[in-house]
Amino acid sequence: MSRSSTAVIDRVAPVATVHGATKRYPGVLALDNVAFSIAPGEVRALLGKNGAGKSTLIRLLTGATEPDDGEVLIGGRALTGSGPQRTIEAGRLGVRAVYQELSLIPSMSIAENLFLGHWPSRGGVLAHGEMDRRSRETLGGLGLDLDPSRKVETLSPAERQLVEIARVLVGEPKIVILDEPTSSLAAAEVELLFKAVRKLAAAGIAVIYVSHRMAEIRQIAASATVMRDGKVAGTVEVAGAATSEIVRMMLGHDAQEEHLVETALGGAVVLEVAGLVSRPKVAGVDFVLRRGEVLGFAGLLGVGRTELLRGIAGLAPVQAGTVTMNGRDVTALPYARRVREGLGFTPESRKEDGILPLLGVDENIVAADFSKVTAFGVISAPRKTAMARGIIERMGIKTARTGTPIGTLSGGNQQKAVIGRWIYADATILLLDEPTRGVDVEAKLQIYGIIRDLAASGRSVIFVSSELEELPNVCDRVLVLKEGRFVAEFLAPDIRTEGLMAACL
Amino acid sequence: MTALTGTNAAPRRSFRLGTLEMNEVGLLVILALLYVGFGSTTNGFISANNQLSILRDGASIAIAAWAVTLIIIAGEIDVSVGPMVAFTSVCLAFLLQGHVPVLLAIVAALAIGGALGTIAGILRAYFGMPSFVATLGLWSALRGLAFFSTNALPVTFPDNDFLDSLADEWLGIPASAVIMLVLFAVFTFISRKTAYGRSVFAIGGNASAAELCGIPVARIRVLLFTTSGAMAALAGVLLTARLGSGNAGTASGLEFDVIAAVVIGGTSLSGGRGSMLGTLLGVFVITLIGNGLVLRGINPFFQEVVRGVIIVVAVLANTLVTRVREARRGLR
Repeated sequence: MSRSSTAVIDRVAPVATVHGATKRYPGVLALDNVAFSIAPGEVRALLGKNGAGKSTLIRLLTGATEPDDGEVLIGGRALTGSGPQRTIEAGRLGVRAVYQELSLIPSMSIAENLFLGHWPSRGGVLAHGEMDRRSRETLGGLGLDLDPSRKVETLSPAERQLVEIARVLVGEPKIVILDEPTSSLAAAEVELLFKAVRKLAAAGIAVIYVSHRMAEIRQIAASATVMRDGKVAGTVEVAGAATSEIVRMMLGHDAQEEHLVETALGGAVVLEVAGLVSRPKVAGVDFVLRRGEVLGFAGLLGVGRTELLRGIAGLAPVQAGTVTMNGRDVTALPYARRVREGLGFTPESRKEDGILPLLGVDENIVAADFSKVTAFGVISAPRKTAMARGIIERMGIKTARTGTPIGTLSGGNQQKAVIGRWIYADATILLLDEPTRGVDVEAKLQIYGIIRDLAASGRSVIFVSSELEELPNVCDRVLVLKEGRFVAEFLAPDIRTEGLMAACL
Repeated sequence: MTALTGTNAAPRRSFRLGTLEMNEVGLLVILALLYVGFGSTTNGFISANNQLSILRDGASIAIAAWAVTLIIIAGEIDVSVGPMVAFTSVCLAFLLQGHVPVLLAIVAALAIGGALGTIAGILRAYFGMPSFVATLGLWSALRGLAFFSTNALPVTFPDNDFLDSLADEWLGIPASAVIMLVLFAVFTFISRKTAYGRSVFAIGGNASAAELCGIPVARIRVLLFTTSGAMAALAGVLLTARLGSGNAGTASGLEFDVIAAVVIGGTSLSGGRGSMLGTLLGVFVITLIGNGLVLRGINPFFQEVVRGVIIVVAVLANTLVTRVREARRGLR
């Protein structure tokens, strides 16, 4: 083993190289003169906060994006195409990517999925024998003993992930990019994935492993490239780097935090969760939420934050434990009843589960409790408008009319309306799952302000975010979720991004 | 901070006569063209008698179509309308044959329709069965049951004054058309002004968001099909009154006229969008075409072809108009 990964690259011709790549998007410098290279058989971890430039770098390698400046070489050949042509070119040169969202067709067999769209055939008839044989070879190459004729829907999440990886091996890959491959896996399943990754590396395939779970990175990757603000902050040998060093590289030294929270407050307990188990992600969680408190949940992608929130809300099946709201045991109550007890929940996928896109802002707000604006089921238009206007003003929602279809508003304004809906409904316990995802910086600040106002008015908020920098801004207290349990607690004003991140990794 | 541009906020939404939706304007144009076309070429098309007949024909489609409009707005479908009408008509006739008081018999027929619809609704809402399949089952079973129980013979019953009045005219307008228009007002009100109606739109637009708002999605889905069954039964009652007997083979293919009228009216089959006014116009487009072609003496088989083409063209025109409008508005 050489002393540093750059030394490896010097000796062997790199399989992929990025030279001086710069990429601008409107208002953002996504990549700033980035250099990157990876050798055959190398497993490289790629780390960085949201927006650090990881995805753009990956898109350069897969040909999904062209750099404004600089060049991308795969196997020594520069990518020259543009548009879809470039992706095809990169694919032909051996670049494969496996993304977080699984793209298998559940109702089809493993073999059919492996060759999706390129089924081997003779005279227009599918050659099942050949397909099964080649599938068995590919699966065997990953150390997988699965019957290729099994339907994908019968597989476990880990097996599906592995089939997804097996799919990229059909053809001759030179470099495989795995984007947060363990985020949908339970801890026990991760080892299966590692085995497969080691086989890939042994076969001389370069692997880029995007993840932030340091424990996993230490097991699987020799070196790690850390990105920050569109630049490569450094490439280190994993064995020689302390986690704190990597955290510092990710955050930079000038991480400045604007603290909205001075002291941790705490009134009466409004929500008590004891021994909550919601398989497979939540393995026994205890905490209390107090009146007027903003409680943050931190944790890596896929660690089970959303599953925990849904368990608390009554939206996911719970195998053990109790949820007590305002002194009343609500464990057996369905979600809709908990809402009537004062719960409010905003989902992380605003577009899919949050907004009623074709209805007006006003109706999106009053839908949380029609009874406040109806008499005998008939909606009073003036009351609806007045109520909605109150929320629109309080939340600072920018909309032409109260009745403008919410689907036409910006993400930030949609999110404010989705939160505002629960204020209208007089919810006292708000569960906000990633409320700042996909909203612009100004809207983020407004949402922080709104959350603090809610706390000041005696409501209690659980704030889930994968952007750790946000948590010190809004939270009185932060709990860190890891492997299904809370492993650390931070109290304002001693909530620091670095400490949080170290506890998460 | 607030950006409500105050002045034009309130009045546009309230009640729009001057601001018809684009597709509704399009349908009015189509209706006008049909009137001009048939009026100038077909004798007797414009006559008062024929207008009443158009109203009467439209009524049986429309009464079922109001409820089906809500179902389609909620992102569901009901294909059981025709057999439901036939079956409840047979039930009503049997009840009257057995000398059950007429009002009681009518209420019982409506209840039977509602109950059968409820079954489809429960299958959809609580067992996750696609509504197409649930109502297709009803479609087949009810038609079969109607024929089976009557041996395909009309079921006659003693003359009945109340039922006759339903087949008659009230103040010069067919009773069924009056009922249709009253129900139009009721359903328009429900769809626009009640929590139930708006919840239907919410469910059709984004069911999982509606669920997270605490809207009782399953219960509303059941109620939609209950209503649809009861409305089909009402159409069955009116048809029985008009025919003077219960007929197992009646209202054949009515479900397709209903769905076509709703879709021509601009209600989106993917849910979340639609209006009663659109359906009303759609009903008249369908009825006018049928009526005009009959009066012109077109070969009945060829009538079906013309109807098919006109339905597709109307919906296509509608889709294109909507697309242009949305592109202009900058919606995706």
